[in-house]
Amino acid sequence: MSAVTPSKPYETHLLRPGNTNCAGCGMSIGLQWLDEALGDEKPVLVIPSCCGIVTAGAFPTSGYGVPTAATTFASSPAVATGISAVAAMNGIDNPVICWAGDGGSYDIGLATLSAAAERNEDIIYICYDNEIYGNTGGQRSGATPVGAVTSTTPEGKTERKKDLMAIMAAHRIPYAATLSIGHREDFLRKIRYARSVKGFRFLVMLSPCPTGWKSEPDQSTELIELAVRCGLFPLYEIFDGRRYRINQRPDNTSIEPYIRQQRRFSQVWNNTGALQAFIDAQWQYLDGMATVFPAKEKPPLPK
Amino acid sequence: MMEITICGRGGQGGVTLAKIIASAYFLKGKYVQAFGVYAAERSGAPLQAFVRVDDEEITNHNQVEHPDHIVVLDRTLIAAGMDASMKPGGFIIINTPADKTGFEEHFSGRKVATVDATSIAVAHGLGTRTVPIVNTVMAGSIARVLGLTLTEILAALEHLNFTGVNKTCAREAYTLVATRSLPGEIHRPSMPPAKVRVADLFDEDVGGMPKIKTGSWATEKPERRRLTPPCNHVCPAGNDVRGFIDAVGKQEYDRALSVLLQTSPLPAVCGRVCPAPCMDTCNRAEFDQSVNVREIERAAADLGVRPAPVRAWRDAAVAVVGSGPAGLSTAYQLARLGYPVTLFEAGDELGGVLRTGIPAYRLPREVLDREIGYILSHDISVRTGQVLTRADMLTLSREFQAVFVATGLQHVSDLDLGDQAGVTPLQGLHFLEQVRQGNMRLTGQRVVVIGGGNTAMDAARSALRIGAREVRVLYRRTRSEMPAIFEEVEQALEEGIILDELVAPVSLQDSGNGPVLTCQGMKLGPPDASGRPRPIADTNPEARFELACDLVILALGQSHDISILPEGSEIKEGEALLGLSGAPLFVGGDFATNAGTVAAAIGCGLRAARHIHRTLTGEDLFPPAEEPVATPAQIRFQRFEHQPPEAVRTLSPAVRRRCFDEVHLGFQAGPGGAGAVAEAQRCLSCGVCNRCDRCLEYCPEGILRRSDGEDGYVFDLEYCKGCGVCMTACPRGAIYMAQL
Amino acid sequence: MGRTLATGNHVAGHTLALAGEANRNARGCCAGAYPITPQTEIIEFLSAFRFNKGRVVLVESEHSAMAVCIGAALAGARTFTASSSNGLAYMTENIFAAGYYRLPTVMIAVNRTLGPPWNIWVDQGDSLMMRDAAWLQFYCDSHQDLADTILLAFRVAEDHRVMLPVIVAMDGFVTSHTQMVVDLPTQEQVDALLPPCNIPHRLKHAHPATFGGMTFSNETEHHRYAIQHSMEQVFPVLEEARDEFENIFGRRPAGVLEAFDTEDAEIVLVACNTMARTLHNVVRERRARGEKIGMIRQKLFRPFPREQFLAAIGAAKKIAVLDRNHSPGSGGIFWQEIATTLRQRPDVLLQDYLVGLGGGDVTPDNINAIIDDLNQRQASSPPEWKDTSQ
Repeated sequence: MSAVTPSKPYETHLLRPGNTNCAGCGMSIGLQWLDEALGDEKPVLVIPSCCGIVTAGAFPTSGYGVPTAATTFASSPAVATGISAVAAMNGIDNPVICWAGDGGSYDIGLATLSAAAERNEDIIYICYDNEIYGNTGGQRSGATPVGAVTSTTPEGKTERKKDLMAIMAAHRIPYAATLSIGHREDFLRKIRYARSVKGFRFLVMLSPCPTGWKSEPDQSTELIELAVRCGLFPLYEIFDGRRYRINQRPDNTSIEPYIRQQRRFSQVWNNTGALQAFIDAQWQYLDGMATVFPAKEKPPLPK
Repeated sequence: MMEITICGRGGQGGVTLAKIIASAYFLKGKYVQAFGVYAAERSGAPLQAFVRVDDEEITNHNQVEHPDHIVVLDRTLIAAGMDASMKPGGFIIINTPADKTGFEEHFSGRKVATVDATSIAVAHGLGTRTVPIVNTVMAGSIARVLGLTLTEILAALEHLNFTGVNKTCAREAYTLVATRSLPGEIHRPSMPPAKVRVADLFDEDVGGMPKIKTGSWATEKPERRRLTPPCNHVCPAGNDVRGFIDAVGKQEYDRALSVLLQTSPLPAVCGRVCPAPCMDTCNRAEFDQSVNVREIERAAADLGVRPAPVRAWRDAAVAVVGSGPAGLSTAYQLARLGYPVTLFEAGDELGGVLRTGIPAYRLPREVLDREIGYILSHDISVRTGQVLTRADMLTLSREFQAVFVATGLQHVSDLDLGDQAGVTPLQGLHFLEQVRQGNMRLTGQRVVVIGGGNTAMDAARSALRIGAREVRVLYRRTRSEMPAIFEEVEQALEEGIILDELVAPVSLQDSGNGPVLTCQGMKLGPPDASGRPRPIADTNPEARFELACDLVILALGQSHDISILPEGSEIKEGEALLGLSGAPLFVGGDFATNAGTVAAAIGCGLRAARHIHRTLTGEDLFPPAEEPVATPAQIRFQRFEHQPPEAVRTLSPAVRRRCFDEVHLGFQAGPGGAGAVAEAQRCLSCGVCNRCDRCLEYCPEGILRRSDGEDGYVFDLEYCKGCGVCMTACPRGAIYMAQL
Repeated sequence: MGRTLATGNHVAGHTLALAGEANRNARGCCAGAYPITPQTEIIEFLSAFRFNKGRVVLVESEHSAMAVCIGAALAGARTFTASSSNGLAYMTENIFAAGYYRLPTVMIAVNRTLGPPWNIWVDQGDSLMMRDAAWLQFYCDSHQDLADTILLAFRVAEDHRVMLPVIVAMDGFVTSHTQMVVDLPTQEQVDALLPPCNIPHRLKHAHPATFGGMTFSNETEHHRYAIQHSMEQVFPVLEEARDEFENIFGRRPAGVLEAFDTEDAEIVLVACNTMARTLHNVVRERRARGEKIGMIRQKLFRPFPREQFLAAIGAAKKIAVLDRNHSPGSGGIFWQEIATTLRQRPDVLLQDYLVGLGGGDVTPDNINAIIDDLNQRQASSPPEWKDTSQ
């Protein structure tokens, strides 16, 4: 018999096996990498109503191997504030991490998120953005891209995706960054950097929902890599809300392979103009900001 | 009232199916009810939906307890007791491929209806590959079983705005559904009521592991596979090329050498002279450039430590005739298997064409001696200076339990050049042997070499080194058709040798001012038997010209001399000899195949040893059939960074054209092989897991663990959901998804 | 502190702060705070207070204010906040969350009419709206009652037999903004009364679990049953708390209700908050004239003290409930609760009077008119609307 290296016990995984996330869920991959990046530091997770709390499963078991507080839909940054405040006054250093979907971040929770950012609470806020209200069956959200079909936009959404990174940057928080599950080293580095600084840290990852995107589960990581390469999902960091660092520029990959593998974009397949215009405008803005306000010195990497 | 329970998984459309059935009866004027048990929307999680049909208004809103019929959309949901509360007389309607059984034991005594709805759905593109939507398909089969007409079920689909392909699928299922009664008695298992423990809010037991074994959701499971890397596939010696490169990449030279020594005792030789078909098939060439396999093999051979030899322990003794690469290879493999071997060599030194035919600047003498020395460290007795005859062969076949003949190509092709004007053309191999012995010196002569193979190149470059003023190579086709190793030709040209393409010699005569070779210009015609364009004389009068020369060397190819073999012998399959009394007699190497490379000869030797072993003991050591070859389609090139091959050093043409020092000096980087390591790390490990950990890193469920066994990793199928992300994450095609 | 002149809001701020400070040797205290008339002075007081181990988080909405309290309580701190009217309405989702989460937060409800139309004056409808949220509810009639009840609230809420949040209500403006003489507690007294806050189901790294995740019907049924059971424990726990209070402060605070002259009363009137004090003056006056009249100041509304109420009304045959609140489509909310309680007394004539809705000043004249009406009644009728402007 060959020897198998025991993995750390399943109970201690941040996301435990036996969870009910769909096969190929982008959130699951994000949680595995969050676990990897944090290492021995066990966070408290604060999760509003979203797929992420269904992950926890039914009482009394838990799909998470760390203390997890379920909050009402709009409340996670405020609940996290309470937890973080008490932790600070008791000298407890474990990170307090909000893990919220785009619904709770871009829409119903935006005021709560904004206020916590404005107070510069010592919280890491991670939005796993599947560009729909996934938990309720895939209705549109402020994060849904233009042209995408959802259960409430059967002809394709007419509005563009909200720029939450810009909103968060406007709060002048210490760190905001986008994360990609197609770029593992970049992902881990950003989590570790976020952990090494204090104040409000905002991270958003584009998270494939095979059920809502009508894509193949095995393509989840490939799709995000394509999204980054074609410029639709930029990989970048903003320091103190003012200094920009672009981690990877688009490389002339066409938008086609990305949208062709998701039936939610069926209205866009032969009509890419609006989405392409969105990409162009987005990069005009980012290139401008990165040119005028570059993040010159590389912040030191944590040990 | 009729009640139906539908068992399915999230994403298969079970609730909608309930509505379709209900619609069919609604359109017939019945009262109907259709609903699902609602929980969080989860693809793959089990769920139930219900249908009630009645002539009167339905007031019962409970979940169905005692269905008349059960529909199973996913056969992996079938479990004992599933039909426990079903009323007798109805059907269990199952989505299953025809060849899959196993549910009969659970449903004894019941009537079942089966249809392969998944295949129909997938064929018509309903849903995704991982979660096909089978509801409209199943609607057809259910309708047939319930006694609805096709028209009625199609009307129901129309009512719910299902058109086109959905109707086609329903029609297909309506036609294809098959019913039968299962023998036996209906199970009535007694199920104790499930005890639900409700934890107190303050209970110390809260927070345990989730209870669901999500492996039961999967419709596919990941399997590891080991494709054949193209380099392994094409290596004539059968080397595990990928294997030794992997070891060098990890700086494990001894292990790399061990891998090589399984199949080849001459890695230091091949690492210098092999034409390397492996490099021509290397998949990396599709991305940037091939891996420099030859140099890595050389590094492994030069830097690794050879293991201690195996001592002979068997009684059966084997005779090997000929100590070229085939004979050496056979002797070595048999010695490793424990046979005492006696090696016969006509000449005074071992090595055959390795010694006499390859010049020192390609294969230094000390390198060859070291290789042969290691081979001879096994229990191999050597008898040199023995030219064996047919009669000797018969003696051998009585004294030994097996005989292997690999005497190479003894005949050289000749060319009639007329009266030759006192300048006798030399045979290339003979010339090279004289050079090797130190018996040949030139003092500014003009040399013409005729031929296009490696011997012609070796002769030309050797002539230069021993003092020729000018060396020309005449070849009757063009450079692209030359059989010589491409690099050899390149280096020869760098050294200043002149290549005359499309020229054939006609005759050698005395001009009065010295020997003159009359030459004929050629053109390329249609392909000949060898597949190459046939050279045709150019009829233009200016195409014939004269070349002054002092020495002509012929390198026109060789053939074997089978007079050594017993009368009536025939070589079959290029290797084995049949129909003889006495010890079995095998042949190999160029003698048998004329394959012309060291690697091919080595491969012959290994196969010969296995043939002999099988004949003597019955044990079959031949490897099983090869796995499919890994093609570029299986490699995800975007996973890798472009990286040019490591620089290699060669002696400059100005220096090397006058000496026999080794031309190739190995990788530039390094003492101790840094260049070899870096080059080895360019290997993509096509189709073979090299433990890069990517599958483990990308698994969304975190259910992979490292194993030190062959597989490299273990999947926990109790929890694997069959998403396939591991398959996509693997850059080299070592994982595929198999149907459950 | 001792004898002081203070407004109701000041009393609330002071007492909350001391209660929070009392947990300084445990995990400290935390409040989420958002202003709304007539509660603003409470959070202004708290914002200025220098906690040794505490933080007041000034959030962007009441919904988040309760969310901060929930988070802080889940982390094991003592928590409190305050709101009114539409602030309570906006907070509703998280009020239910705190109740179902079994977190012992104390919230001051400065009773104010719900709108629109906007009305800043007193009405009990805002706190009563939360009666199903698994919170205890105390209604305070005076500054002293308020100060004492806030301390009792922490003591009862954090008791492991209860472990439920508490609303302590006072009348907007009439109590909150009115200066009265009151005996304010000292830090030493509060330290003596309140043990360290220890929430057994707080988040622990040593024992990770998910709190507030999903349940099916079975678990929910058990959960609700457990909450009801804890509600029933409030009565004995409150008695213990009153005993401890008396030991430290030398006086016994009011319990679930205060009954005056009900032993031989033929008619009894029921009210809460400051209206009950006006009622008390009228009842005393009419008693002095020989009428067999009594009153009950209803203090504890959740859990509703049925046994104590039945005992308090004695043999009275007519009961009037003065509701400064209304549930459209039914009637006054105290009346509904009392009607259920009186099913064991079918001989009693129970009449609801809706009075002071929207903050009208309820005068002795208004009350006298109600008593006269009750006296001449032979039967009860649907809730009577008593316009205070008349």
